[in-house]
Amino acid sequence: MTDIQADLARPLILARAPTAARQRGTFTVQPWLYLAPALCLLMMWTYVPLVEAFQLSFYQWNMLPTSPQRYVGLTNYQRLFALPEMRAALWNTLFYILGLVPMSVIIPLFVAIWTQDLEGRARTIYRALIFVPMIVAPVVAAILWRWLLNEDQGLITLGLETIGLGRIGFLTDPNYALATLTWITGWKLIGFSTLLFSAANAGINPSYIEAARIDGASRWGIIRDIRLPLLSPTILLLSMMTILFGAQWSFAYINVLTNGGPLKSTTNIFYLLWEYGFQTMSAGWSSAAGMIAFAGFAVIAAGCMWLTKRFAIYDN
Amino acid sequence: MTTDVSPDSIAFASGGPKSSGARRLAVHAVMILLSFMSIFPIYWMIVTSLRPENEIFSTSLWPSNPSLENYVFVLTRIPMIGMLVNTTIVSAATAILQVVTGLFAAYALVHWRMRLSGVIHGLIALSWLVPFQVTMIPNYVLASRLGLLDTLTGLIVPNAAHAFAILLLYNAMRSFPTEILEAARIDGARSWKILWQIVVPNMGAPIASLSIIAFISAWNEYFWPLLLSRKPENSVVQIGLQMFMTQEGNLWGPLMAAAALASLPILIIYLVLQRHVIESFMKSGIR
Repeated sequence: MTDIQADLARPLILARAPTAARQRGTFTVQPWLYLAPALCLLMMWTYVPLVEAFQLSFYQWNMLPTSPQRYVGLTNYQRLFALPEMRAALWNTLFYILGLVPMSVIIPLFVAIWTQDLEGRARTIYRALIFVPMIVAPVVAAILWRWLLNEDQGLITLGLETIGLGRIGFLTDPNYALATLTWITGWKLIGFSTLLFSAANAGINPSYIEAARIDGASRWGIIRDIRLPLLSPTILLLSMMTILFGAQWSFAYINVLTNGGPLKSTTNIFYLLWEYGFQTMSAGWSSAAGMIAFAGFAVIAAGCMWLTKRFAIYDN
Repeated sequence: MTTDVSPDSIAFASGGPKSSGARRLAVHAVMILLSFMSIFPIYWMIVTSLRPENEIFSTSLWPSNPSLENYVFVLTRIPMIGMLVNTTIVSAATAILQVVTGLFAAYALVHWRMRLSGVIHGLIALSWLVPFQVTMIPNYVLASRLGLLDTLTGLIVPNAAHAFAILLLYNAMRSFPTEILEAARIDGARSWKILWQIVVPNMGAPIASLSIIAFISAWNEYFWPLLLSRKPENSVVQIGLQMFMTQEGNLWGPLMAAAALASLPILIIYLVLQRHVIESFMKSGIR
């Protein structure tokens, strides 16, 4: 359910209406018939539930069909803001996102630039290999890393012990658990991001580079003044996706590996919603927290779009 | 496990257009490290799944007596085959429905100028930004009222239309030459016929991309099945895997065999269609 579009050829703006059209001003039924299946489904499973969740956030309800929903006004919101749990979950959400940025943007960007001359067979093989984590199911990824990082017999634990670093409770020590989950989330993205940057980088018109070189620009100068600006749409896109969806991507790992623990250290806002909703059965709290998260991310999304329009440099 | 590429090292390596041997070596080192990191956990899963019980904690890179006993254990202990069949049905149905609903919606938006088309386009695009965790309670209530709990239909229907699918096909359809469509219209062809006889046959590439992505992401979907499923035999393989882990979490051999079985179909698709899979994801996005 968390997906991003990386249509690199196009800036993120709503498309203009196309030219091939008639029936100006008159109402026709036909297009609505074609639109009906998709629109009905989106209404039924996204927009109506969104409104219902908004309503639920003012009620107290334990999710049992037989028990009544009690109107409590803004109490849910007031309680949530007073809860240290909520504050901790919001901080953790921020840590997940900040931890992901190096793995989904910064390292892939420099690896892509650094390895741009790779050609032929080697390039194809590397491409095929580093893409693989992208299609591995999150549950499978969680299990693989649980095994590698297992405290007693995990290969990485044993390796670290051999080089004298001692045993680290990657998933059981509150100081490491969040970093571990961030790493697993990032593991799935790092290769794919690298491929996206490589493609964008290869698309840069070589005559710019040639011209700069003739003018005596250094390699770093070319990267700073030509490559990075022309890669800015991809940089902004991937940053935006990490910010908007990073915390959601980590949900499966939290649920499979730590259940939000140890000591709540890996609970982010989306996991908190799930806990309130389906573990403690407080639909009102879950909905209120959901509304706060939704509003927060909507503001961030708007800000990102504005940044993209303002700062992305397109080579037309 | 990060590779430090500081500006200095790049400047240092600049030796004109032809790269030096040392730089080439460093480039390969970076890529080999990244490839190793990507592939090793999967390799280790397969190796562990082939180890007999008494050498499960061995650190050798290949089992000395490879055996399939872990796979046998999994297949007898949990309804793995049934769950793989369920997952195949759910993923295929989701992919097909997303293509169909997406084609219809994109066709409507591209070929008629409606006063509301901007609003509709926005509504479709924005549905993407609504996190599923925010709407999960009303969705769950609706699904239980419709009797969809613990059914495959319940896993398919809510994902039968997706903003991503519609927008991908919309973008592809917009670049379709309008003259051909105009000509067909003048010939009096009906919109239904134009869609199936002219538009769809020319949209092979985007439809294939969308199907690949939709199938793989439906296969890997975890959260909605987690809410809906009760019994493993009515559920998909991700849920079976999670249940197996909760119950038998330290039987590493069988657990790795289960994980391998759950990933096998996707890995086979990837082996066969490798270039197409990568290109589909690159052109159209992360799911």
